[in-house]
Amino acid sequence: MSLASLLPVFALMTSLLAAVIIFTLPERSFRLRTLVNLGAAVIKLVLVGVMIWGIVQGRAYEVAFTMVPGVRFVLRADALSMLFAGLSALLWLLTTIYAVGYLEGSPNRSRFFGFFSLSVASTMGIALAGNLFTFFLFYEMLTLSTYPLVVHRGTPKALRAGRSYIIYTLCGGAVLLLAIAWLHGLVGDLSFRPGGYFAEVEDALRGPLSLIFVLLVAGLGVKAALVPLHGWLPQAMVAPAPVSALLHAVAVVKAGAFGIVRVVLEIYGLDAASDLGLLAGLAGVAAFTIIYGSARALYQVDLKRLLAFSTVSQVSYIILGLCLFGPVGVAGGLVHLVHQGIMKITLFFCAGNYAETLGVHRIDELDGAGERMPATSVAFTLGAFGMIGVPPLAGFTTKWIMGTGALAVGMDWVVVVLVVSSLLNAAYFLPILHRIWFGERQAAWPQERRWGRLETSAWLLWPALITAVLLILAGLLANLPVSPLSWVELIVAREVAL
Amino acid sequence: MFESASFVLFAVTLPFASLLLALRSGLQRAYCYSLPVLPLPALMIALLSDPGWLLSLPGLLHGGLWGMDDLRRAFLLLTAMLWLAAGVFALGYMKGYLKADNLRRFCVFWALTLAGNLGLTIAEDIASFYGFFALMTFAAYGLVVHEGTGEANRAGRVYLVMAVGGEMAILAGLLMAAQLAGSDLLADLPATIAGAEQRGLIMLLLLAGFGVKAGLPLLHFWLPLAHPVAPTPASAVLSGAMIKAGLLGWLVTLPFGEVSLPGWGDLLVIVGAVGSLGGAVLGLRQQQPKTVLAYSSISQMGFITMMVGAALASADVAVTLFAVMALFALHHGLAKGSLFLATAMTLPRSRIGQWLMWLLVALPGLSLAGLPFTSGAVAKLAMKEVLKPDHFAFAAAPYLPALMSAGAVATMLLVWRFLWLQRAVGKIGRNPVAMWVGWGLSLAGSLILFWYLPWHGAVPEKTWPTAITGEAWSLIWPILMATLMAAVAPRSVRQR
Amino acid sequence: MTPWLMAGLLFTPLAWAVLTLLVNFNRGRLISWLGILVQVVVSLGLWAAVAGDGGFHYQLGGWPAPLGIELRVDGLAVTFVLLTALVAAACGWHASIYLDPAKAWHRYFWPLFWFLWAGLNGVWLGGDLFNLYVGLELISLSAVGLVALGGESAALRAAIRYLMAALLGSLAYLLGVALIYGQFGSLSIAGVSRLLGEAGTAPGQTLPLLLMLFGLTLKTALFPMHGWLPPAHGIARSPVSALLSALVVKASFYIAARIWLDLGGYLGSYGLAQLIGGLGAIAVIWGSWRALWQAKLKQVVAYSSVAQIGYLFLLFPLTWGVAEPVSLQAQQGITLQIISHALAKAAMFLAAGNLIMSVGSNRVDALAGVSRFLPFSLFSFGLAGVSLMGLPPSGGFAAKWLLLQSSLASGQWWWLPVLLAGGLLSAAYVFRVYRASFMERAGTDRFFHPSRSLEVIPMILALLSLGLGLVAGPVLSVMVLPFGEGGGQ
Repeated sequence: MSLASLLPVFALMTSLLAAVIIFTLPERSFRLRTLVNLGAAVIKLVLVGVMIWGIVQGRAYEVAFTMVPGVRFVLRADALSMLFAGLSALLWLLTTIYAVGYLEGSPNRSRFFGFFSLSVASTMGIALAGNLFTFFLFYEMLTLSTYPLVVHRGTPKALRAGRSYIIYTLCGGAVLLLAIAWLHGLVGDLSFRPGGYFAEVEDALRGPLSLIFVLLVAGLGVKAALVPLHGWLPQAMVAPAPVSALLHAVAVVKAGAFGIVRVVLEIYGLDAASDLGLLAGLAGVAAFTIIYGSARALYQVDLKRLLAFSTVSQVSYIILGLCLFGPVGVAGGLVHLVHQGIMKITLFFCAGNYAETLGVHRIDELDGAGERMPATSVAFTLGAFGMIGVPPLAGFTTKWIMGTGALAVGMDWVVVVLVVSSLLNAAYFLPILHRIWFGERQAAWPQERRWGRLETSAWLLWPALITAVLLILAGLLANLPVSPLSWVELIVAREVAL
Repeated sequence: MFESASFVLFAVTLPFASLLLALRSGLQRAYCYSLPVLPLPALMIALLSDPGWLLSLPGLLHGGLWGMDDLRRAFLLLTAMLWLAAGVFALGYMKGYLKADNLRRFCVFWALTLAGNLGLTIAEDIASFYGFFALMTFAAYGLVVHEGTGEANRAGRVYLVMAVGGEMAILAGLLMAAQLAGSDLLADLPATIAGAEQRGLIMLLLLAGFGVKAGLPLLHFWLPLAHPVAPTPASAVLSGAMIKAGLLGWLVTLPFGEVSLPGWGDLLVIVGAVGSLGGAVLGLRQQQPKTVLAYSSISQMGFITMMVGAALASADVAVTLFAVMALFALHHGLAKGSLFLATAMTLPRSRIGQWLMWLLVALPGLSLAGLPFTSGAVAKLAMKEVLKPDHFAFAAAPYLPALMSAGAVATMLLVWRFLWLQRAVGKIGRNPVAMWVGWGLSLAGSLILFWYLPWHGAVPEKTWPTAITGEAWSLIWPILMATLMAAVAPRSVRQR
Repeated sequence: MTPWLMAGLLFTPLAWAVLTLLVNFNRGRLISWLGILVQVVVSLGLWAAVAGDGGFHYQLGGWPAPLGIELRVDGLAVTFVLLTALVAAACGWHASIYLDPAKAWHRYFWPLFWFLWAGLNGVWLGGDLFNLYVGLELISLSAVGLVALGGESAALRAAIRYLMAALLGSLAYLLGVALIYGQFGSLSIAGVSRLLGEAGTAPGQTLPLLLMLFGLTLKTALFPMHGWLPPAHGIARSPVSALLSALVVKASFYIAARIWLDLGGYLGSYGLAQLIGGLGAIAVIWGSWRALWQAKLKQVVAYSSVAQIGYLFLLFPLTWGVAEPVSLQAQQGITLQIISHALAKAAMFLAAGNLIMSVGSNRVDALAGVSRFLPFSLFSFGLAGVSLMGLPPSGGFAAKWLLLQSSLASGQWWWLPVLLAGGLLSAAYVFRVYRASFMERAGTDRFFHPSRSLEVIPMILALLSLGLGLVAGPVLSVMVLPFGEGGGQ
C-alpha cells in the first residue's frame, strides 16, 4: 500500500485530527485554535487538489479492509467523490474563516470548532466512501457531530430544533440501515461502481429491490430534505450562521442528495432504476419538493427560514436531474451539487452578516441594508440571482443543462417545473433585494455593531465575497476545463457511458 | 483594430470595470462623470469596424461567440449613441434632480443596464445573449425605482413581475429551441424552429417573452408606468434603446426567411395594428408628457410588429424587411430618446429662444410622424416600399397601407398631445451645460447624423431626397390631418 | 509459558483478595494497582497465545476431567478474559481515585473487587456446569457486597433485593444442574452434549434446561425479571455500577448461551427460543422506554442496561434451527454486543459518576450547562451512547448489523423493528441527557472539577467501544469458533 493510495485517509484525518486537537485546547487559546483550524483546512484542500489531479491523470486511490465479516470498509477517491470532497474542502476553509469571525468572543468555541471539524470529517468520509456500508458509517457520524452544532446556543428554541433534527435524522438513519442491511443480505457487499449492479434484474428480485430503493431514498431523503421529510431543516436554522451555511447548505443536505446519486448511479444503475419504474416516482417527489419548498419560502418572514425553504427546493434539483435518465440531466443534477452549495453558502454568509452586524433577522428589517453594507448586499444579490437562475451565474448553468436534458428525453414537464420554480424564486428573492437596495431606512438598526472602516468584520466579509465571485465564475466560465461543469462532464463520461 | 478581440472585450467589460469606482463613496462624482465614456468604445466598434467579424470565447458560459452583422450594427449604433447622449445628459440632470447619496447607486445600475444592452446586441450565442438580456432587465429595475416614490415602486413591481415572466418565457423557448438544434448558437435557432414539431409553442414563448420588452399589446402594462417614472435620461434609454432589445430578440430567434408562416403574419399584423392604434388612443388620454411618449413607443413598436408579421409571413422578403426594421428602430430610438430628454429641459427666457426651443423639441416628434427630410420620412418610405401588398400573400396584407396611414395620423396626434402637455408643465430656467450637450447630441443624431450613419446593407437603394420629394404629399397629409384634428378636437370636447 | 499464565490468571485475583482484606483502603489501592497490572499483562499474554496458536483445554492441577477441573481456553474465553481485564482495570483504577478513603467501609471494596474478578475468570474458562455454578456464586455474592458499599439504607435495600434475586437464580440453576447430573451422570457441558447426540432425547429432559435457563435469565435480568437491576445498579457507586453492568450480568448470560448452544439443539424448542427472544425484544423496548423517563442520571443508564441485555437474548431464536452460517453470524453479533456493551456501559457509568460528582446532584436536569465545564466526560458519555444506539462505527453498530443480517437470513424479520426501534429509543435517552447538558441556564457556573485521570478512563473505554466496529473483523477472527465446541483442541 503506497503512500499515495492512503491519500483519502489523510484527507479524512486532517479534520479528524483537527477536531481532536481542538477539543483538548483550552477555551482561551484563540490563536492556536484558529491556526489549527485554518491549517487543517488548507492541508485538506491541498490533499483534495492532489487527488483531483491524480484522477485526471487516471490514477485511483483506494483503501479497504474488512470491518465486520462480509463487510468491507472502503475509502476511495473517484471522480464523483472528488466533486463532493472538493466542494466541502473548499467551503470548509471559507466557513472556518467565517466562523472564527462570527463566534468571536462567544462561549463554547472549543466545543463548536471541535464538532465542526468532526462534521467536516464526516462529510469527507461520505464523499470518499467506497460502498454503501462505509457511506452509512459516515452518514450517521454526520448526524451525531452536527447535533451539538444545532443546539450550540443552548436556548430552548435551539434545543427544540435539535430534538426535531435528531429525531428526523436518526429515524432516517434507521430506515437506511434497514435498507442497506437488506440489500446486503440479498446481494452482498456492493462497492459503488459506475453503471450499478442491476442491469439485468431477475423477476424474483424486482419486488424487494424496488422496496429497498424506496427505503434507501426515504432514509437519504430525510437529510436531502425531500418533502415530506424536510421538517427539520427550517427549524435547524436557529444554529449559528456558519453552521447553517456549511452544514445545511452543503454538508447535511448534500450528504443525502449525494447518497441518492450514489444509489441511483452506482448501485442500481440508471437503466435498472428507471426500468423498475423508480425514477419516475422519484422525479415526481423531487418536482413536488422543488415547487413546495419555493412556495413555502414565499411566506417566510425570517430570512434564514426563507433560505432554508429555498434549500429544500434547490437540493431537489440534484435529484430531479438524476431522474432525467440521461447524461445531460445527470450532469445538470450533479453540477447543481456544487453550484447550489456555493450559492446557498453565499446567501447564508450574508444573512449571518446582516444578523451579526445590524441585528437584522427578519426580512422586513432589511430596508436600506444595501447602503449600510454594500459589499455584503452585492454578494447576497448575486446569490439570489444565482438561485433564480439568471445567467451568467452558476444557477443558470444548472437550469439550462437540466432543461436541455429533460427535453432531450421528452420530459417536457420538467421545464415547466424549472420555470415555475424560477418564478417563485424570483417572487421571494426580488422583494428582498428591493428592500435591501431601495428600501428607505426609517428606524435605527436593531443591534448595530461597528468595525472601523469596513462595513463588517473582515473575517465575515471576505468569505461571502469569495463565494460570490466563485458563483459568478462557476457560471461565467462554465466551459473552461477547470469549472465544476467540466468536472461533472468528466464524471458523466465515466459514470453514464452511453 | 476595432473588431480585434481585445478591443471588443474592452468595450464590453468597460461598464463592468467602471463598477470599481463604486467601491469608495468618495469616488461617486468621478463615477458620474465616467458615464458618458462607457458606451464610447462600443460606438467606435459600430462605426468603424466592418460587419461580419466574429469573436469566439470558448471558455465563456457554454461557449461564447460574439460578433456583428449588418443587423446588429444598426442596433449597436443606436444603443451606443443613445446611451452616450443620455449619459452626457445625466451628468447635468443629476446635479439638479438626484439626491447625492443615491448617486452611486444610480451610476451602478446605469452601468449594468448599459453593459447588458450593449452585450446582448453583439452576442451570437444563446447563453451570453440571454445573460446580457437578463442583466439589462434586472439592472433596469434599479433605474425604474430609483426615485423611490410610491409610484416608482409600484411601477417597478409591475415591471419586474412582467419582466420575470418574460424572462421565463424566453428561457423556456430558448431551451426548447436549443435542445432541438443541439447547438448553443443563435444562428442555428431559426432553421431549427422552422422545422420543429413544437414550432407554435416555441414561437409563442419567444414572441411573448421578448414581446414584454417590446411593449406588445397586453404585455405592455409595465411600459407606460415604468418609462415615465425613471429619471429622465433613464427613460430615454428605456424607451429608445432597451425596447429595441425585444425586437432584436425576435429578429435573431424567430424563423425568418426559413418558412413562410402566413398565420403568424396575420396574427402579428393584427397585434401590431392594435398596438399602434390602441397605444395611440390610450396615449391621447394621458396627462403626463412622459406617459404620452411611452404610449407613443408602444404605438411605434406596433408598426415594427406589423413588419415582423409581414416578415414571418413571407420568407423571401424577410431580408429586406430586416433592413427596414433596423432602420426604423434606429430612427425611432434616436427620435424618442431626444423627445424624452426634452421633457426635462427648461425653456429660455427670451421669446425667440422659446420658439426655437419648441421647434427643436417638436422636430423629432414630427420626424416620428414622417415629416419629409427627417429620419422618419426615410423610415416610412422604406417601410411602405417593402410592405406593398403585392409582395405578400397573407390575409392581412391588403390592409397594411391603410393601417400605416392610420398609424401615421395617430402618431402625429400623440405628438401634439405631448407638446400640449409639455407646454403646460414647461418651466423657464437655466439648464446645466451637460443637459444641453446631451439633448443636443440626441437631437443631432436624430435629425442630422442619421443620414450619415451606416445603414443596414439591405435597405432599398434610393436617392432619398428625390424619393422624399416625390412622395411628399403622402407623407404630409397624415400630419396635416392630425393637426387639424388636434386643433378641432379640444374645442369640441370643451364645448360639450 | 502457558501454565504460568493460567496460574497468574486464576490465582492472582484470589491472592489479592486475601491480601487486600488485611489492609485499609489506601494500602489496598497500592497493592491492587500492582495486581491489576499483573492481571492485564497475564490476560494479554494468554490472549496473544491463543490468538497465535489456537485454544486448548487445561487441566487444573493436572487431573483429568471427572475428578479435577478442566478449563476450556478457547478464543472466545480469552477474549472475554481480556475484556474483563480491561474493564475491571479501568473500573479499579477509577474506583481507586473515585472512592473516598475516609469512609471505613470502602476498605472492603478491594477484596470484593478481586473476588469478583476471580469469579469472572472462572466463568469464562469453566467447562462444566458445577464449576460454572461456583464461579457464578462467587460473582453474585461479591457483587451484592459491592452494591452494599453504597452505604446508605437505600443501597442496603437494593443489595438485599439483589441478593434475593441472585439466590433464587442460583437455586434454580443448581436444581437444573442436579437434574442433569442425575440423568446423564456428567457435569461437563461437552459431555452431556455428546451423550445427547448419541442417545437422543427423552421426555422430561427439558425441565433441567428450563430450570437452568430460568435461573440464569433471572440473574441476567431478562424482562420481566429485571426488577432488581435498576435499583442495584443505580444506587451503587459508579465504578461498581460499571463493573456490574459491564461484566457481572454477562457472566450469567455467557453460561446460558453456552448451555443453549450445546444443549439447546437437543432440548430446546422453537417456541422456547422465540419466547426468550420475545422477552428480550420486550426488554429492549421496555427498558429503553423506562430509561427515557428516569429522573436520575444513573437510573437512565441502569435501565439502558436492561434494554441492552435484551438484545443478547436474540441469540436464542437466531441460533435455533437455522443454517450454520446464520447461526454463526448471530453468535458473532451477540459476542460483539457483549463486548461493546461492556466497554460502553462501563464508560457511561464512569462518565456519569464524574458528571454527578461535578454537579453534585444525580438528577438529569441538574446537568444544565455542564457541557461547557465538563465537555470531556460528557463527550465520553456521548461516545458510549453512540455505541448503545448502534450507530457506526461503534461495536454496537457492528453487532446490530450482524444481528440484522442473521434476522434477515433466517427469515425472522420480526426482530428488525426491535433492533431499529431499540436503537432509536436509546438515541432518545442519550440525547435527553445531552440536551440537558446543553441547556444554558443562569447560575449554573459552579462546578466541581474531577481529576484528569477520572475523566480519561471513561474516554478510553468509550473510544475502545467506538473503535471496536472498525476492528470487528480481527476481533471476531480470534474467537475462531465462537462458543466453539472445544475450539482448536
